[in-house]
Amino acid sequence: MSEMAIGTVRIRSPLGEFWRRFTRRRVALFAGMVILFLILAAILAPWIAPYDATTPDYANVLSGPSFTHLAGTDVFGRDIFSRIIWGGRVSLTVGFVSVALGCIAGMVLGLVSGFAGGFLDSLIMRFCDVLLAFPGILLAIAVVAVLGPGISNVVYAIAVFSMPVFARLVRGSTLALKQTVYVQAARSIGVRKLPLILYHILPGTLPGVIVYLSLRIGTSILTAAALSFIGLGAQPPSPEWGAMLSDGRSYLGVADHLTVFPGIAIFVTVLAFNLLGDGLRDALDQKLR
Amino acid sequence: MLAFILRRLAGTVLVLLTVSVFVFGFVRLLPGDPARLVAGPDATAEDVAAVRADLGLEGPVWRQYVRYIGQTLRGDLGRSAKTRQPVIAEIGARFMPTLWLTLVAMGWSTLFGLAVGVLSGVKRGRWEDQTAMVLAVSGVSFPSFWLGLLLIDLFSVRLGWLPTGGDDDWRSFVLPSITLGAGVAAVVARFTRSAFVEVAGEDYVRTARAKGVPERGVIWKHALRNALIPVVTMIGLEFGFLLGGSIVVETVFSWPGLGRLLVDSVSFRDYPVIQAEILLFSTEFVLINLVVDVLYAVVNPEIRLR
Amino acid sequence: MSQLFSKVVLGGALALLSAAPALAAKDLVIGVDSNMPHLDPANTNDTLSQSVERTMYQGLFGFDKDMKLIPALAEKVDSDETATEFTFHLRHDVTFHDGTPFNAEAVKVNLERVMNPENHLSRRSLVSMVSHVDVVDPYTVKFVLSQPFGAFVNNMAHPGTFMISPKALAQYGKDIATHPVGTGPFKFVSFATDTVKTTKYESYWKPGLPKVDSVTFKSVPENGSRFAMLQTGEAQFIAPLPAELVKAAQGIPTLNVVISPSIIARYVALNNMRKPFDDVRVREALNYAVDKNAFIKIVFSGYAEPLDAPIPPKLAFYSKQGEWPYDPAKAKALLAEAGYPDGFSAELWGATSTLAKRAMEFLQQQFAAVGVKITVSPLEAGVSTAKLWNVQKPEDATMQMDFTAWSSSTGDADWGLRPLLDSKSFPPNLFNIAYYHSAEADKAIEAGLGSADPAKRAVAYAEAQKIIWKDAPWVFLSVDQLIAGESKRLSGVYYMPDGGILTEEAALN
Repeated sequence: MSEMAIGTVRIRSPLGEFWRRFTRRRVALFAGMVILFLILAAILAPWIAPYDATTPDYANVLSGPSFTHLAGTDVFGRDIFSRIIWGGRVSLTVGFVSVALGCIAGMVLGLVSGFAGGFLDSLIMRFCDVLLAFPGILLAIAVVAVLGPGISNVVYAIAVFSMPVFARLVRGSTLALKQTVYVQAARSIGVRKLPLILYHILPGTLPGVIVYLSLRIGTSILTAAALSFIGLGAQPPSPEWGAMLSDGRSYLGVADHLTVFPGIAIFVTVLAFNLLGDGLRDALDQKLR
Repeated sequence: MLAFILRRLAGTVLVLLTVSVFVFGFVRLLPGDPARLVAGPDATAEDVAAVRADLGLEGPVWRQYVRYIGQTLRGDLGRSAKTRQPVIAEIGARFMPTLWLTLVAMGWSTLFGLAVGVLSGVKRGRWEDQTAMVLAVSGVSFPSFWLGLLLIDLFSVRLGWLPTGGDDDWRSFVLPSITLGAGVAAVVARFTRSAFVEVAGEDYVRTARAKGVPERGVIWKHALRNALIPVVTMIGLEFGFLLGGSIVVETVFSWPGLGRLLVDSVSFRDYPVIQAEILLFSTEFVLINLVVDVLYAVVNPEIRLR
Repeated sequence: MSQLFSKVVLGGALALLSAAPALAAKDLVIGVDSNMPHLDPANTNDTLSQSVERTMYQGLFGFDKDMKLIPALAEKVDSDETATEFTFHLRHDVTFHDGTPFNAEAVKVNLERVMNPENHLSRRSLVSMVSHVDVVDPYTVKFVLSQPFGAFVNNMAHPGTFMISPKALAQYGKDIATHPVGTGPFKFVSFATDTVKTTKYESYWKPGLPKVDSVTFKSVPENGSRFAMLQTGEAQFIAPLPAELVKAAQGIPTLNVVISPSIIARYVALNNMRKPFDDVRVREALNYAVDKNAFIKIVFSGYAEPLDAPIPPKLAFYSKQGEWPYDPAKAKALLAEAGYPDGFSAELWGATSTLAKRAMEFLQQQFAAVGVKITVSPLEAGVSTAKLWNVQKPEDATMQMDFTAWSSSTGDADWGLRPLLDSKSFPPNLFNIAYYHSAEADKAIEAGLGSADPAKRAVAYAEAQKIIWKDAPWVFLSVDQLIAGESKRLSGVYYMPDGGILTEEAALN
């Protein structure tokens, strides 16, 4: 909807329109700011973290929050607050990269599969079935056993088992969109396949993808934590939040601050991504009408 | 429709065969010697060789595969390397607990998620929507093992209402299904809401409303059907994932399920069990996806399936 | 109709009122941390399965709660001087759970089953030195060995040689693993890999025992959940109770925390055939670089003892050697002397458990303080066995440093030294992953094995330990303490130094 001022017609560009929609939703805007803040904190870690992430202090182990250590210290006496700031780098990178990889690959497969139909569709979907049949945990264990432990291999593993889900999702939307009047009309006037897919179908799949993407960034951080739970996540002494949470669970009831702070960090980050995703979806959605 | 289903079932066999070859080679690529792992630290080299013979791991891989296919077709899935029990018994003993837990968790979380999603979609933008979505999102933002341990601490240790684990009676289902279902409910709620919001502005909805069609009719007949497709997809996928068992929930609640079995058998390189479990999962997924694809056509008859 | 209805309501109300499963007063539930693969004693190698087997099975000899050798199904044993003939005199009053009498013939059947290579039993090496078994009379059996083996009686106390009813063996064959029939205080009821149920054996040969009606083992891998089970009363004994939770447990008035020594030794094996670890000064430096007390405090929450000999104190023929004091300055000096004034880099392997990772991080910090930069590589079990035990030639070993543990399940110094430090034990034969080779140590170790005379063995092993301690093939770290949690109502359940659980004398008030 464009506004009309008396005497003039003010037309907003699609981007401006999108921005206006987005900033209307205050929750999403707030979430976006939180994420920007987290990213900034991660980038500026060397300057804003009060301590180093790895220097031990055996005289000061497992001490609770205090003025010198805002979030307390861990089993080696390391400052938890600093480790959380440094850990933001790892967790955010894992979240972004693994999901981006899985999403791109999955979208390509899903679009091709849904649009082409027939044998190619069956082939791609059966391939996805095979991948889905491998529980993520097994795949992660296998990747780690073959490539060795380490956070980058975890990223690959998470990307691989996110991919078939995106593919299935996009394929479903593609199938539905193929039948719409909008697309049929475009076809009938001779729009070629590639532009058809890119400009007419792809945007229609985006709402579903964006919703899932935002959920997925959060859950890939949680997946990395679950892998730490079985010993395969980031390796010591990396301050990855999931690893901190997993190591700290031995001390539940005795030194709760070990789990509370990384847990809150994960929770806030994942929450922010999800709320942001909602807002983006709504704003984008209006644009597409 | 029938022809479609039959063709898909035929394709299933091909998928399963591919999966079996893939996993057969795949587990043997994992570094580590099952015979040594089973024989244990106190065994000598001759003990290990004896175990290796017992496990049928001698000879070239292709011959092992042929033997494996022959046995499988006869219904013999072999014996677990670690426990020496028939694999069918091992998996069977854990399949029912996993299935029950999956059904309970999916049941409450799908219903709950749909209800919340519809509420949010209809009241879009208002405070009900905002709070519902934040709650839904919280459900999926908790690391599940943390949630599980906190639930045990509250409901078992402090209040004494529920058991800490195992699968003895109906009470044991409560905490694990909450932990498992929290994530699913959130996903279903958000996708349902998204479906609603997406179609609320559709031209045909506005037209129907303008024509005076009652609100409920508008929502169901016109808005929901297309938009439900992603929801149906996600429910199917989540069901499939949960049927594979959740290693985290099963560990925290000592639930005798397939997730723990898989992780343990990978640690032990228990090839027969790994192979059988993957075969089971892929069969489940293929069947679920078939059902989902059929549902697409039911929900929106315009989707033509080939 | 209304009668049925009120019954249902009453039943439902009662069910709702009882939060924890209602237990008869004399049923013992034990929470453990891993699964029990099966119950064939000749084919299991984990202490948990062995603990469960101990409720239903016994051997000719056994261990008391301090890992001391005691007679069990045999009253006494004679051996000759060359340690090649052992004659066991059996008890007369024992029957198996299915009524079959226990006698020399049963012993022969059992031993021949384990000895038979076609059965592929993984504990066969315990009896591979037996040439043949003779039934002298119904209650006397003689073993003739093909080589001297002074520790033979210990092998007859190992769960691998537990006695199974010959009738059951004939009946079940391979399935004996899920249908145990033995002579122990409890009879088999049911088996699932995470729950094993047994019940009291009324005709047990020790008078007055057992004192509880049943014993059930439940596997609860998550530490927090297992502790919760103890708190709610669903279990009366849990093992292990993680060290981090001891403080919490001690604050609960209905619980006891039981701490006992173990025979689990922890150390870092160094590849003695690879630079820089082939230089004894480097190995000494690494020993000086670690503060053992801080190690114990941080990694084990204080519940461990420093390792002061190559084997832990509870093993027979342990001989205390002293300590490698914490002296980083000396460590640096030794490294400089050996040609590494700026230290060096190395890779440390270990398990993926929380404990192992914590230990490796600590070691990384300690070694960094003297200039040795360590990369921590936790390896999954399958991978580590491939990289450590399957190596065919010493030159091919890629291991540099490995944080590991060892527990000698025979309770004897032989199994704590020979497979790890004798030069004939290089992989793939046995487990000398440190590739330590010392002719003098070999001689001492083999002398200890070659005699059945405890005095002679003690001298030999003291000598072996002295040599090994000085050569420092490992970084000697600590000996675990075993921690269990039990309800104050429970008595008579013991956590043995090898991690096994004894339930014979259990009693609940």
